Amino acid sequence: MKFSYNWLCELAGVRALDAAAMGRLITVHTAECEGVEPWGAHFAEVRAARVVSVEPMAGHHRKAVIDTGSGTRTVVCGAPNCREGIVSAWVPPGTALGSRHIETADVGGVTSEGMLASGAELGISRDHAGIVEIEAAPGEPIPGCRPDSIIEIDNKSLTHRPDLWGHHGMAREVAALAGGQLQEPADTGRIPSGAPLVRVRIEDYALCPRYSALVFENVTVGPSPLWLQARLESLGLNPINNIVDVTNYVMAELAQPMHAFDAAKLAGGTIFVRPARDGETCAALNGETYTLNPSNLVIADGSGAVAIAGVIGGMESSITGATTRIVLESANFHAAGIRKTSSRLKLRTDASMRFEKSQDPANTVRALARAIALLEQVSPGIRLAGGLADDARPAAEPIVLELPLEWLGRKLGATVEPERVRAILEALRFEVSSIGEGVLRVTVPSWRATKDITIKDDLVEEVGRMIGYSSITPTPPRVATAPPRVNERRGFHHAVRQAVAAQGFNEVYNYSFVSEQEMARFGRNPGDHLAVTNPIAAGQGHLRISLLPGLHRNIVENAKHAVSFRLFEIGYEIHKGAEVRETPHMAAAIYAKDSGEQSLFELKRLALGLMPGSETSPCEARAHEHPARVAEVRWKGSVVGRLFELHPRLVEAGRAAVLDLDLAVVESLREETRKYKPVRRFPASEFDLSVVADARDLSATIEARIREHGGSHLENIEFLRVFTGPPLPEGCKSLSYRLTMAASGHTLSGPELTGIREKLLEGLRAAGYELRA
Amino acid sequence: MTEQLRELEARALAGVASAATPEEVEAIRVDVLGRKGRLAAISREMGKVPPEERGLIGKLLNQAKTSIEAAIAGREDAFEQEKLARRLDAEWLDLTLPPPGVRPGSLHPLTRIQREIEDLFVSLGFTVLDGPEVESEYNNFDALNIPPDHPARDMQDTFWLENGMLLRTHTSPVQVRGMQTLPLPLRMIAPGRVFRNEEVDASHEHTFYQLEGMMVDREVSVAHLIYFMKTLLAGIFKRDVTVRLRPGYFPFVEPGFELDIQCLICGGSGCPVCKQSGWVELLPCGLVHPNVLRLGGIDPGEWSGFAFGLGLTRLVMMRYGIDDIRQLQGGDLRFLRQF
Repeated sequence: MKFSYNWLCELAGVRALDAAAMGRLITVHTAECEGVEPWGAHFAEVRAARVVSVEPMAGHHRKAVIDTGSGTRTVVCGAPNCREGIVSAWVPPGTALGSRHIETADVGGVTSEGMLASGAELGISRDHAGIVEIEAAPGEPIPGCRPDSIIEIDNKSLTHRPDLWGHHGMAREVAALAGGQLQEPADTGRIPSGAPLVRVRIEDYALCPRYSALVFENVTVGPSPLWLQARLESLGLNPINNIVDVTNYVMAELAQPMHAFDAAKLAGGTIFVRPARDGETCAALNGETYTLNPSNLVIADGSGAVAIAGVIGGMESSITGATTRIVLESANFHAAGIRKTSSRLKLRTDASMRFEKSQDPANTVRALARAIALLEQVSPGIRLAGGLADDARPAAEPIVLELPLEWLGRKLGATVEPERVRAILEALRFEVSSIGEGVLRVTVPSWRATKDITIKDDLVEEVGRMIGYSSITPTPPRVATAPPRVNERRGFHHAVRQAVAAQGFNEVYNYSFVSEQEMARFGRNPGDHLAVTNPIAAGQGHLRISLLPGLHRNIVENAKHAVSFRLFEIGYEIHKGAEVRETPHMAAAIYAKDSGEQSLFELKRLALGLMPGSETSPCEARAHEHPARVAEVRWKGSVVGRLFELHPRLVEAGRAAVLDLDLAVVESLREETRKYKPVRRFPASEFDLSVVADARDLSATIEARIREHGGSHLENIEFLRVFTGPPLPEGCKSLSYRLTMAASGHTLSGPELTGIREKLLEGLRAAGYELRA
Repeated sequence: MTEQLRELEARALAGVASAATPEEVEAIRVDVLGRKGRLAAISREMGKVPPEERGLIGKLLNQAKTSIEAAIAGREDAFEQEKLARRLDAEWLDLTLPPPGVRPGSLHPLTRIQREIEDLFVSLGFTVLDGPEVESEYNNFDALNIPPDHPARDMQDTFWLENGMLLRTHTSPVQVRGMQTLPLPLRMIAPGRVFRNEEVDASHEHTFYQLEGMMVDREVSVAHLIYFMKTLLAGIFKRDVTVRLRPGYFPFVEPGFELDIQCLICGGSGCPVCKQSGWVELLPCGLVHPNVLRLGGIDPGEWSGFAFGLGLTRLVMMRYGIDDIRQLQGGDLRFLRQF
């Protein structure tokens, strides 16, 4: 929201405070000032000048001699309206006009000393058609145009302040902060009495608490005077015509949006404020036609909607050059309703932005009073017709709060003298009286009472911000000393991260979104995923149910410039269902341009490090898994994840092995169950064993058999090597193990060992295995 | 015979001293000290020596034997030493070579900052809480004093889900969970991933990390909040920081503030980082709104508190001088390996 520094100074009765200082003051005490920019600095140089004579030149240029009030000058001008006798705006050489520097220049053989400027060139209107024509004596400044500064305030910081959406509200703050005398621009004594010429019927006061209107006749529609155009232009509002410009000016001044209808285009003598009929349409001022439904409020005449209430006016009843009679609307609408309509229609206007903030119903008539004075200035001969039409529910009772000063001091952590509290609140136009010892009775002004200030805590902010938070001395809080509750899960995740990174893995963070193409690659359908109803882009319409698509993308991208690497992510899978389940997973990948075996066993080592004693057992492969290189990871009897190589289809060059663990399950199994066993005191004996098996027999199965037949003295089985080739037949392999045998109470004797060994070999042979010497 | 002995000893010693190999020394030992060696030959001739000379010759004989043996032992030892030295020298290694195997991995910078800040808060007595990424509209908005159709909802463009839930737009909903589960007085933080429906560019992300903090106690004031923030920020930036509070609007606090820190680059005199203002906006905070306490099951007449939000992503970018926010979730090793 843009504020004119000049305008604020006028309304706040403040001088001797430059624009930058005003911006800082507002930032520290009221709302965030995002910047202060000079506006119209050239008006310090630009002067009125009369065209004395005009001579044609080659092309469409003309040579004009002008009286500048301080001598005659020659300028070259291309404007069609440059003619003898008019007074226009002369930009002397050496003046900066925005980014242009105007200098004496040779144009077609004529020395042009500066230029005559159009409204657009001066930045006060959008008129490019010709040079401005004004009423002033040569040498005078341009009437109504002087250098200003624009103070830009962050809209977000005005969300709770309906009053600050107009200059008068901000001026009230500035006056309170800088000790100015706030000016009231509206004279409500100008509101005519008597019967109105238009009737207003509000169907639901909850949606429209108040609708006020006046009828004017003998209206002349034309461009606004320059000062009015300049002011609107400086605030980024587009000047349109004198009538519409007045409505925008009042909105910028008093925060009350208004709308002018051409009275001749309204059917019947009654204005209805009602929900739209289902499918009712309204052709709006912006050229769009909107299809409405009963959740949208409309302003309607006898034949249909003439405006979308609080959002935009209708084209049909808009002000045109032919308009002679107008109905001027100044209404108040329910904030949430306007917001809903505005977001449904995707149409945010200056009006809707203000109404969304809960405007003050008391403001409607004040704005009409202000408009009367302005319309008389810009449309000479205009007349009020009839009295005020004003339909409203009874005004809300004023909010009265009790403010205990001792409580206020405790909230702020600072003592503020009662007189100071009172002075601050009164400067902001709260009514304050004292009730009893140390308690103030505070009446909230209507423009702060719509939503902003409802409880005494809101007054803490008023006092705090006005004394300035920098005046409060920081004080250490007194708190109980107690060890905080420990977040086990978070600690576990951090420990896993640390352990995995220590094994050479780089941690990535991927998005929670997944595209349909990615899920298809992993054998999943959109229906498996929770869908985002308003995705920001195609490909981000669903929530991930696996970390793998993200990790796969990382692999493909990084493989473009790295030969081998290790990556991991810890993040949440989000599963849909009656209850949404968020499951923490750890996915780690090793990419290398090799046969891929080593990577899988490296990941198995990682799993064993995280989960001592975990096992990998064969399982059915999924779409994205290498069908012959996949295993389930089990720990303490539970499935905790999968170890596999990505299907070669998914990885163009090289291979990628992946370990995917459900950290919630791993964490639940983590409880320490190991118990100390006394260190054995008698020596152990070792012997090696080679078992011949089918090429695809599992080592784990053979180990289990060894354990089964090894007897109670079998202490350890260590895998030594696997061997294939002659003299073994095709399709066979030999697995060698070193077995450790020991007894707890004595050293095993030769015969004992032989017995154990014989029994073991017999058992293995019985199970169908051959043994190699 | 004496002469003969002296000469033998001198020759043997000279031979040992000049021997170039252990084999030469061994040959001398056999020749001189061996069972059939020269000393043995001399001692066999002792019978021919007159009895009065026998004592002297015997003595000389022993002396010669001892000194030659010592010389041989010394020489052999020297050969051993040399041999060891040669072996060790041959085992020379270039320890400036990189180690075989994988390079060390790395933790993501967001992980680093999160852990550091979590540790700081735990040391200040705060509990670390987690909350879900998929939240109810109630926890994300209503319970934080942001009713439906409140314009404050526009401040946080929201991703809505097919089941009526949403992706949390801030970590503030964990406040609600904290108030419901932790005993009073409470101190908690909630770091985590949040989402905003915003176009992505070098400084905007739809996915980023925040940390919500809250303290509820019998009597908590603005003065306490300022003190705490100064302490916290000194811990984060590892230096004293000058802070400034100014009004800021957040429906879940009253009064609400924007906390600025004096620019750490220019010290407040104005530079491009602080847009010449001398201040950098860092975090929103405020006293917990009584409605929020009430919705969290806490009596605002008995308890009060403060709450604040810290942008972890922003902090990471400040800490490491990262100028493109997209790097953080880009998964590029050339970025990740820098941490």
